[in-house]
Amino acid sequence: MFSRRELLRRSGMGFGMMGLTGLLGKSFGSEAAAHINHIAPKAKRVIHFFLNGGPSHVDTFDPKPALLRHAGKPLPITRITERKTGAAFPSPFKFQRYGQSGIEVSELFAKTAEHIDDIAVIRSMYAQVRNHEPSLMLMNCGDSVQPRPSLGSWLLYGLGSENENLPGFVAMCPGGYPIKSAENWQSAFLPGQYQGTFVDSQHREIDKLIENIRSPHATTMVQRQQLDLLQRLNLEHRQGRLDERLDARIQSFELAFRMQIEAADAFDVSREPKHLVDLYGTGVHGRQTLIARRLLERGVRFVQLWHGAGQPWDNHEKIEENHRKLAAQIDQPIAALLSDLKQRGMLEETLVIWGGEFGRTPTVEMNGNTAKLGRDHNHYGFTVWMAGGGIKGGTVYGSTDEFGFAAEEKPASVHDLHATILHLMGLDHERLTYRYASRDFRLTDVFGDVMREIVA
Amino acid sequence: MGVITASQAATPPQDWWALHPLDRAASQSGPQSVDGFVDATLQKQRLQRSPTASRQALIRRACFDLTGLPPTPAEVEAFVSDPSPNAYPRLIERLLASPHYGEQWARHWLDVARYSDTKGYVYAREEKRFVHASSYRDWVVRAFNEDMKYDRFLLLQIAADQAVPAGSPDLAAMGFLTLGRRFLGVTHDIIDDRIDVVTRGTMGLTVSCARCHDHKFDPIPTRDYYALYGVFQNCAEKLVPCGIPNADEELVKRQAKLRETMTLRREEQAARVRERVTDYLVAQLELEKYPGEGFDQIIDAKDLNPFVVRRWQVYLERHRDDPLFAEWRAAKSKETAAGYGARFAQAKNGEPLWHVLYGPDSPCLVPDEHVANIEMYFPTGVITELWKLQGEVDRWLVERSQAPGYATILEDRVQSVNGRIFLRGNPLTKGDEVPRQFLAALSKGQQRPLSHGSGRLDLAQAIIDPANPLTARVMVNRVWAHHFGQGLVTTPSDFGTRAELPSHPELLDWLALQFIDGGWSLKNLHRQIMLSAAYQQSSLSQEDAQAFHDAQERDPQNRWLWRMNPHRLSFEEARDAWLAAAGRLDLKVGGWPMELFAELNARRTLYAYVDREQLAPVLRNFDFANPDLSTPKRTETTVPQQALFGMNHPFVAAQAKALRRRADVQVCRTDAERVRFIHRLLYQQPATPSQEAAALAFINSSALVKRPVESESAKAWQYGFGEWDESAGRVKSFTALPHFNGNAWQGGSHWPDVKLGWAQITAEGGHPGNDRGHAVVRRWTAPMDGSYTLTSTLTHVPAAGDGVRAFIGHSGQGQLRAVTLHASEAVMNMESLALKAGDTLDFVVDIGGGLNSDQFLWAPQLSLTGSTGSGGDLATQQWSANADFTSSAITALDPWEQLIQVLMLSNEFMFVD
Repeated sequence: MFSRRELLRRSGMGFGMMGLTGLLGKSFGSEAAAHINHIAPKAKRVIHFFLNGGPSHVDTFDPKPALLRHAGKPLPITRITERKTGAAFPSPFKFQRYGQSGIEVSELFAKTAEHIDDIAVIRSMYAQVRNHEPSLMLMNCGDSVQPRPSLGSWLLYGLGSENENLPGFVAMCPGGYPIKSAENWQSAFLPGQYQGTFVDSQHREIDKLIENIRSPHATTMVQRQQLDLLQRLNLEHRQGRLDERLDARIQSFELAFRMQIEAADAFDVSREPKHLVDLYGTGVHGRQTLIARRLLERGVRFVQLWHGAGQPWDNHEKIEENHRKLAAQIDQPIAALLSDLKQRGMLEETLVIWGGEFGRTPTVEMNGNTAKLGRDHNHYGFTVWMAGGGIKGGTVYGSTDEFGFAAEEKPASVHDLHATILHLMGLDHERLTYRYASRDFRLTDVFGDVMREIVA
Repeated sequence: MGVITASQAATPPQDWWALHPLDRAASQSGPQSVDGFVDATLQKQRLQRSPTASRQALIRRACFDLTGLPPTPAEVEAFVSDPSPNAYPRLIERLLASPHYGEQWARHWLDVARYSDTKGYVYAREEKRFVHASSYRDWVVRAFNEDMKYDRFLLLQIAADQAVPAGSPDLAAMGFLTLGRRFLGVTHDIIDDRIDVVTRGTMGLTVSCARCHDHKFDPIPTRDYYALYGVFQNCAEKLVPCGIPNADEELVKRQAKLRETMTLRREEQAARVRERVTDYLVAQLELEKYPGEGFDQIIDAKDLNPFVVRRWQVYLERHRDDPLFAEWRAAKSKETAAGYGARFAQAKNGEPLWHVLYGPDSPCLVPDEHVANIEMYFPTGVITELWKLQGEVDRWLVERSQAPGYATILEDRVQSVNGRIFLRGNPLTKGDEVPRQFLAALSKGQQRPLSHGSGRLDLAQAIIDPANPLTARVMVNRVWAHHFGQGLVTTPSDFGTRAELPSHPELLDWLALQFIDGGWSLKNLHRQIMLSAAYQQSSLSQEDAQAFHDAQERDPQNRWLWRMNPHRLSFEEARDAWLAAAGRLDLKVGGWPMELFAELNARRTLYAYVDREQLAPVLRNFDFANPDLSTPKRTETTVPQQALFGMNHPFVAAQAKALRRRADVQVCRTDAERVRFIHRLLYQQPATPSQEAAALAFINSSALVKRPVESESAKAWQYGFGEWDESAGRVKSFTALPHFNGNAWQGGSHWPDVKLGWAQITAEGGHPGNDRGHAVVRRWTAPMDGSYTLTSTLTHVPAAGDGVRAFIGHSGQGQLRAVTLHASEAVMNMESLALKAGDTLDFVVDIGGGLNSDQFLWAPQLSLTGSTGSGGDLATQQWSANADFTSSAITALDPWEQLIQVLMLSNEFMFVD
């Protein structure tokens, strides 16, 4: 734990402010350092479906009939992307209008689309560079290159966790790491307690899901005895010594003991009724989404669900087959989560985010003169959608050009997205700062505008 | 940070205390001792120094402080019983002479140097480990141990290439510059990292803040940043031997292969550019098609290379007065380009046009440098090829050499050019050219030019110039901060105008001057500090609780040093101390890193492998220095994950067991004697009566707790490996997996194991070994004759790889089932299976075509449906691979080990008074 003085210094707050928030005297744990809502919060927690590799917007949430008219012909506009692309490549997927809002969604996300009136689709997102690594860093940490804290770390730093017995920021990915691995949920110069906890959701056993959560060498009863002795010795040691760190450490063992029990419970989906398990689906994505709901319910601040190890959505080839397979894995869990949250009355305080690090080209990727029937990376324009907590559902924000190559109307940078997310969580992105190496750092650096039109 | 106007940016330097020259006059008229300064301030604040700490506290404090290791019980005894007033100074001398002093203080410097054994994220073609990281780390240890003068210590780290002969071990020092994150090869960010580590690390100046605009608070204009940028942009990396030449035949072979290919590819590339002068000129007409900077595009040999297009742009600009290109300048068009192309094709050796193609600054040439410096000249396929060959060399060095013997240095390029300001930090919008010169804030009038070669040596000399007011102040403060837990200046790498003022400015200057005048000796500085009464005072409220309380009210942060600050052990110190108490610590100095929790790793934590991309979570949880950024001071957090590590990680438990097995612990005659001895091992203090009573009570009550025992049904299962013999339908030879980690059977405590690889069996499934010779085998032995039912589902989840093969083998009948599956499930049930007592069923899984994503789930269940007599009554008639899986009986700690673990986790262990 920081000393309070250090904490105040870093977060640029005075003691007066601390008095107001009533933080003094509060217990230790994954407590926020900034701990202040600048704005009335709309959402309390976030779940982020990260379609790593880059899902194609023109095949999902951004229909482009103009591509059909140009099918097989070069587009009048070209952009430099990572690889060579050729002619216009119309989406092989059918689009249809959904809900009262009548927003068009492709068949890939037909189940999710049933909730379109709760969703705001941002069709004018853009990033900075054409490669995965920097774009992942930008989307997760707000900077393409420099090591900076991730969005989840900033949220935890700003708001703390509502459950001291669970990690406040959980990143789940079945089968191993996405590329850039732990850098995607790094705390960088923020203290280590704000980093994301990685969980390989392919596992089912609790001790494989969370490091050191179960003792291989002592039963709970033995551990309780050990901790009783430990605390007795620590209390005796504390006599005549003055150091708040001693108390913090004493508490941390009790927290850890409770965490062992609570975490095991939170990750155990077998405690869910069968109809819910069926609703989410029994595949690994259904399971990790259901675990995510259990975590959110227990006060975890930020859960990020990655699609899988590596970059599954990176379909340079055979996009029809591959996107169909990938979407089928998550469409049902996402729809189930939205229904389930709504039914529990949690959706209004839970911000649901869907997106990748960028989108894909409207043109077909070439291998020499042969079309690979896939699409290249596209950071000039892509789609991210958000639902729930404070989002004005049934909205479309901005647009790409008629082919979907680049953001055109109301271009939305990743900084704008971050500013909006923080805003919904009750944080002013210009005031959530951390002093490091004599600079006040922000998630949004010197950029970012809140997209007010999608805020309810 | 927002845009800053010039008037806001410049606090005049004369108001900035840190830039004032060291105050020699005040220093000479001062009290000439640490205590003199500290006491004077205490008096002014109406505070009193605390009494001297106990002998036990002093030796523990001094040992951890100087070596990061606890004293042995014998050392404590000798010191405590030595009545001589020289006992303490002798102790300090002994510790300063210890080879472990250098290790401890090297770690502090490595935090500043953002040390890592790896480059951060790299593309798969490139080896991610640095070849030269260990050489640098060991050089720092040696420099501290030899008490290398601090000015030389810095000079070598910045410019050893120009200060020592080729092959010198001191070349390793340059890792300071070359061990930063690689940023996927983006030059601007690599240079930014170097500017940051040099300026914050040596002078406490945050020059990187001026990358995009003038520094917001300190008088550091953007021009200064790009003046230093100019220095580093004229340097190229080079891998060179330093010290022991460990060139062996294979290495020479690999290097030659790299060299040959490199030469060939450079020539090919130059030839390709020469053939296409026309196209490169035409490209100048549509530059927007060629990204100037940034990230990779996949390029093949037929494409124009955007980097080369930009080189032509720079070349043409540099030759803007050259009559050769007058025609081009007059009429830039495709036709003119074609005309030039035709003429270039005819150019004869020695003609001016020939020089454009072949001369030393030709835009066609690829410089003869490390692939890291020149990869952008090549098509993607060639980059991959060159990195693979470089990787062959790197891997040979990292994996096969006896000792680290290579350094990555910077060398000045032959032709040096000035940098240009990137407006708002954006390399695409270039502003004015800036001469290479030292910081304005540290120059009186004329800025000191950094002009020899790249200017790097000049830069080093400007930093270590005794007239530079920052260098000595910053280092003296760093050392002070480690001794006292906080610096005289609380921000050790930021001496800017926004930093808090020093608590004891005269003391800081006096120490800095002593440091410089005494020949930049760090060991002298330690002596000066540690022999002071201020350092030796107690941290406790011993005799006078009231005075302690009052002082606490008046100065809760202890800025005026009325007591010693207690020290919480860092992760390295704690791990080393656990190993030391367990009698297992391996004190070998230097060498290659080891995985932190590798089976046999009992080395000091300094030598644990630091992977900046995937830093071990335990290191992050314990506030280890972020290897991406120069860290002046570690944050200190207390979180439950730290407690969970202590309670549940096998490492701590293993040390508790090892301590219990120490011969000197075994021989203790009574429980009480043993408790007292264990206390001395762990705390360097005898147990208090109440501690002793608590420990004994724990041992007695703990013995009554029922320890887990293995269930009857569990005894039917065995866990091993072997090769599946397809023709015989059985396992060729079944060998038990040797290690149980509490959750899984596997080759050793580290997984994958060196010998048995990925082979692992868990309650619910497992992972086959790396080849067909290492199938994993879950063996069930029938306890009695009877008819059995088997139910099982084998699942293989990952889409990656090519799946696994699985077999069920019967000891008598051979193969019962065989299946190959990939990202799918197979139900394998059998009914009415007639077995005799002692028959075995083997559940065998090996890799499919290759080793990749082969983890599986398969937890068979058996039940006895009808017995046929022999075997007697069974307590159980159900067996479940999952429920019967090895219980914790195997790894459970006995009561003494439980006690030792508690003592290892206590505050008394983790804090130094």
